[in-house]
Amino acid sequence: MAVITPRKKKRSLTPYLLIAPAVLFLAAFFAWPMVQGLILAVYDDEAVLPLVAEASIEADRTGELPQGAAVAILGQQGNTIDGELTSDLLTEQWFRVTGTDPDGADVDGWAPETRIRVRDEASDGTPIGGTVRPVLGENADPLTPIRSEPTERADVIAQLEQRAPVEIAEVTVLEVWFNVSAVDEDGQAIEGWAPSRFIRAFENGEEGRVDRGTDGQFTSRFVEKMLDDRFFGPAWRTTLLLMVLIIPIQFVLAIVMALVIHARPKGTSGFLYVFSLPMGMSDLAVGILFFSIFTSNGLLNSILDLFGLIGDNPPTYLGADTRGWIIAAIVLAELWRATSIVMVIVVSGLQAIPDETLEAAELFGASYWQRVRYIMLPLLKPSLQVALILRTILAFQVFAVVIALGGGEIVTVLANETYRQYFELRDNNVASAYAVFILLLSLASSVFYLRAMRSQNEVAES
Amino acid sequence: MAEIRIENVSKVFGDHVAVDNANLTIHDKEFLVLLGPSGCGKTTLLRAIAGLGMADAGTITIGDRDVTYLRPGERKISMVFQSYAIFPHMTVRENIGFGLKMNGSGADEIKKNVDEAAELLHIEQLLDRRPSDMSGGQRQRVAVARALAMKAEVLLMDEPLSNLDALLRLEMRAELKRLLQDVGATTIYVTHDQIEALSMGDRIAVMRDGVIQQCDEPSTVYADPSNRFVGGFIGNPPMNFLDGLVRADGDEVRVSVGGNDIAPAPHMASALAGFDGRPITVGIRAENMKAMTGQADGSVPVTVQVVEPLGSQNLLTVDVGENRLKVSTHPTFDVSAGDTLWVQFPPDQIRWIDPATEEVVSSGETTVGA
Repeated sequence: MAVITPRKKKRSLTPYLLIAPAVLFLAAFFAWPMVQGLILAVYDDEAVLPLVAEASIEADRTGELPQGAAVAILGQQGNTIDGELTSDLLTEQWFRVTGTDPDGADVDGWAPETRIRVRDEASDGTPIGGTVRPVLGENADPLTPIRSEPTERADVIAQLEQRAPVEIAEVTVLEVWFNVSAVDEDGQAIEGWAPSRFIRAFENGEEGRVDRGTDGQFTSRFVEKMLDDRFFGPAWRTTLLLMVLIIPIQFVLAIVMALVIHARPKGTSGFLYVFSLPMGMSDLAVGILFFSIFTSNGLLNSILDLFGLIGDNPPTYLGADTRGWIIAAIVLAELWRATSIVMVIVVSGLQAIPDETLEAAELFGASYWQRVRYIMLPLLKPSLQVALILRTILAFQVFAVVIALGGGEIVTVLANETYRQYFELRDNNVASAYAVFILLLSLASSVFYLRAMRSQNEVAES
Repeated sequence: MAEIRIENVSKVFGDHVAVDNANLTIHDKEFLVLLGPSGCGKTTLLRAIAGLGMADAGTITIGDRDVTYLRPGERKISMVFQSYAIFPHMTVRENIGFGLKMNGSGADEIKKNVDEAAELLHIEQLLDRRPSDMSGGQRQRVAVARALAMKAEVLLMDEPLSNLDALLRLEMRAELKRLLQDVGATTIYVTHDQIEALSMGDRIAVMRDGVIQQCDEPSTVYADPSNRFVGGFIGNPPMNFLDGLVRADGDEVRVSVGGNDIAPAPHMASALAGFDGRPITVGIRAENMKAMTGQADGSVPVTVQVVEPLGSQNLLTVDVGENRLKVSTHPTFDVSAGDTLWVQFPPDQIRWIDPATEEVVSSGETTVGA
């Protein structure tokens, strides 16, 4: 018998061309920002500061120091600035001075701003004259060295007495480099030079620490910082609590609402529209709406007052010591706001069940509740799964309602901590760590639902 | 006893009268076919009997129970749906046992009935499978088994074979007929397929525009349609209709068709005499005419337009004056388009139809001759 191999279908380019814009769009607007966010959370691009043998970026590396490492500052020197002058550079001015040395010879050379006091400036602010600063200390050399180049490493070509008048012929700005010694992560003592902008010198000028590095490194620092954050625990627990409180109630409500709409009893034709109205409101607006109900002079207290149920001091619901009430208000607001989206999904799921299927069940003697229990709910499984995934993901992101009702301090949630890290604490990395945490929770819950609620067919087939 | 009596039942959808004053009695254990073109109201009537759409007027009685206002589950009926309406999330066993589970039968009884029903439909090997990976024919069997497992005295079937392919339909038709004879339930079977109706039914109720036109045994409905619609709807090819003109001269009544005179059967003469000078429609089935190559007594010359050899017969399309009709001949009858033939109209095979009412003219005698 001849062996028949399936014919290879000729590949057509057209589908690939058709999806190319979508793929590009996804890459540009979803994948790229998401990867960037992830990178922010786990990658510190200022983690490592390399030390070099001389005060020059071209010099050989002598070692690396992590951010925050303590260093001893052995010396400093001005250095020609490579590239642009930026604001975070620690700089040093050097002056080319001309004057007369103690021997009466003419002097023309360079001295740093620490040695020259500017006493005369041109109309545009350029220093043109000054005196040599006095040297303090008993054993100090009273003479100030004048060098051939604007750097400490240049030859001393002359010396000037203190308080000697000089003319300033030229000014140059140098970046300060520190010569530091420290113990690196491997316990090795290292020494080398680093630009001053990466090292924070303490007041005594002899010690400091690495402020930030120039080389990147993957790190768990931000994640650890997030986990150690004092708001992390409360935020995470509250998010979970809200989810556990809201989602079951929401699904029962949504299914009941959907069944009412599907059964179409008389006079309910407008229910769908009434039920879906909150979908048109922003979550912040809903938060503010419920704030106006629960605030101490709000609607709730007004109604209670109307019936004389409260005295002269209306109870406070949204106060610093009424966490329970705030949670309750958030639950109510979220139920009011987001139940309808679940309902809409369930309604469409119900409409997908063929009429004859339900009629068959009715004909074979199933009561309404039996039809709900044995036919509708099992057939709604895919819809419920979609709604559950959607709602859980949205529950991890709950934010505006919480802020509107709780202010974000007494009751805080994960999304609020992301916000706080980003806007208040200006820590992009920890904010990203929070965001990635939310993303992972959403992902995990989606996978859980998809696995747990796999329809019977798939189970049978697998 | 499960005699179904449908009395003055009407059903309206807005302005549309779907079932118009239907009266029908289905005897115990009878197989009645509701036949009609789509939109004639046959399914609506069936649904009214099932309780899936309540009749707007009239009463429906099953046995001695008035079920008009009962819910479907309380009517003790069973049904096979057109789409089968199998529950996709249940196994075949759960599907077949669903009705029994709902009426609170014990597990043993459910298992027994399910196994029995599955055996009747030869689907024992499918019991633990799900409908999603079954063929249309298998689903159909599951739907029938589910209906039979209920052991209800009344079985309703809504075009159960219409979703099957032609060969499977033929096979299921015979099998269903045998099965339902064995089960002995009072059955109402809705179809638009006249072959199904003729081959399966004890009686056929033909419906049109919500009105039951005729309810008789298949042979009667076929041979003696009550009106032009029934004659034209049943049979393949349908009954031929020719325009004729009645001339009565004393006892002698003649009908002129395309310039040729046809003599009616003697027992029809008096009834037709009343149509003197008026047009009448001559209805005759293709196989009841005799085509001949030569002229014979009472034969009419025709011109052959088309010859369709169908294997078991040759179907000729011929012209008689202004009228076009189909004549069935033996397959060996040698004729070609353009030939002239002579066709005999046996008087007792002719049905005379009043063009004004489209009703078949009866002889006025107590029994209608066939």
